[in-house]
Amino acid sequence: MPNSVQVENLTKIFKAKVSGKNGITALDNVTLAIEKGTIFGLLGPNGAGKTTLIKILLGLVFPTSGSAKILDTDISDFNIRKKIGYLPENHKFPNYLTGEDVIVYYSKLSGFEIDKKSPKITEVLNLVKMEKWRKTKIKKYSKGMMQRLGLAQAIIHDPEIIFLDEPTDGVDPIGRKEIRDLLISLKNQGKTIFINSHLLSEVELVTDKVAILNEGKLIKFGTVDELTVNKQLYEIKTDLPISTELFRSLIENYKITQKENMISLEISDNSDLNKFLDELRKSSINIIGVNQKKSSLEDTFIQSLTEVKN
Amino acid sequence: MKNIINISNFTIREALSRKIIVTFFAISTFVLIIFALLFTFVPFEDLSGMVRSNGSDPINIATEIVKGLKLFVVAPLFGGGLFLSIFSASSFIPNMLEKGVVDLIVSKPISRTQIILGKFLGGVLIVLINIAYLIIILWILIGLKFNIWDIALLSSILTITFTFASLYALIILVGILTQSSILAMMLSYIIFFVLSPILTARDTISTFLNSSLMEWIMDILYYIIPKTSELGSLSTELAMGYGIDEYQPILSTFIFLVLVLYISIIIFSKKDY
Repeated sequence: MPNSVQVENLTKIFKAKVSGKNGITALDNVTLAIEKGTIFGLLGPNGAGKTTLIKILLGLVFPTSGSAKILDTDISDFNIRKKIGYLPENHKFPNYLTGEDVIVYYSKLSGFEIDKKSPKITEVLNLVKMEKWRKTKIKKYSKGMMQRLGLAQAIIHDPEIIFLDEPTDGVDPIGRKEIRDLLISLKNQGKTIFINSHLLSEVELVTDKVAILNEGKLIKFGTVDELTVNKQLYEIKTDLPISTELFRSLIENYKITQKENMISLEISDNSDLNKFLDELRKSSINIIGVNQKKSSLEDTFIQSLTEVKN
Repeated sequence: MKNIINISNFTIREALSRKIIVTFFAISTFVLIIFALLFTFVPFEDLSGMVRSNGSDPINIATEIVKGLKLFVVAPLFGGGLFLSIFSASSFIPNMLEKGVVDLIVSKPISRTQIILGKFLGGVLIVLINIAYLIIILWILIGLKFNIWDIALLSSILTITFTFASLYALIILVGILTQSSILAMMLSYIIFFVLSPILTARDTISTFLNSSLMEWIMDILYYIIPKTSELGSLSTELAMGYGIDEYQPILSTFIFLVLVLYISIIIFSKKDY
């Protein structure tokens, strides 16, 4: 599948304001590729460089070195931004505008000429459930409503790739679900979505691939399954709970725990799994299923950061 | 060009929403009402009749009154108009550069040059519209009252707008560098009310200072900064129907405008937001 975003050896060093000498390395040699028509999640603790990466891709920040392409066009060509939608974190719209004014203004800036009567505005505001507030001045909007409107301005011009920085910030749980559904629907239309979020459980629900950034370095990259699978932990389901005697004999050689008819096994070598299963069979235990245990994305995230620290 | 127009349209919209244009309009209307009342209740006809009985030509008397009016009106218009214009335009750039606002603009398919030119054009248009409203209506009032339709007064629209444009370029530069509307405003006022009048009179001042270094510094400063004081005098002279004696203040101020705007664009184009 072709890539929507291609980042190669991207480095950004923010110079110290006073001395002008090298200061903070916000991005350190980051290389990644995001496939077209996928939802990509960028994770990382505060100050990891997530927003800097998005800002470089959108021309707000200039890289110190490295290169990046969006839809096969170098990011220095501002015309490529016609195909990009962007919802920044803590965005501010001019508060004298109404909801529909915001849409008209930013769509015009995106090179998409519409007026207030355009059915496209109604369609987009309906998508984000903001149609009934279209004529209200945005100074009366709540944080959640601002997020929804921000999302509407990001998609009004039918972009091919959408960057969302904390899109569900301030949105209630129902609203978050609606935004997730909208993102999936946009993905089904072939759009690429780049999400930057702290809400790992949400990212886990919608993303195809995720990357974890820490102190400007890319420390993990892959599908959610690839990152969350724990290769050393297995869950073995038996038809009946195993006897105490058998459990005692097994625990001498294996790291196991038992909860009803589910045995959790921690191994260091794959051959141990087969040996363990053989022992169960020898004891005439009926094995119903064997599953590799998965961690949550949050566990993986914390574990990755701990590994880096150590 | 479409992008520049879009940005300038929304600068005007911003000025409208922040009641800048309305305030400008209200002050201009107030000034015009005062003139309308003055023309209605002050018996200029008696004055010309009185002079006519002395054998003077009534047309010449009216012309002299209009000249006097222009002399009385143009300088305060120039000073007051610019004072208000600087005050109203100083926040356009810092507002745009606020975190959360700038992200939405700079990430759009618009070059940074277009953003600055759009902001510049928008600010200049706001002042042009307001000054044009004030001066054209005043010109109509004078025309109706004295039946003298001298278009020389209208030249003030251009001189005031041009002088504002030169200071606005500086406001943009300071806005980009510091994101402070107060600093931008203060610097413009210092140039307009202090530096430019002092530097215009530098020859006289030098005779008192008796220092070649100071003379040299003042000469350099004179040629660098916009000559708002001389443009003010030029504004009155043009309104009175006199020609332009010296083009140097216009030319050097224009060079300042272009150069400062260019530097603003260069700096804005290289800044991280």
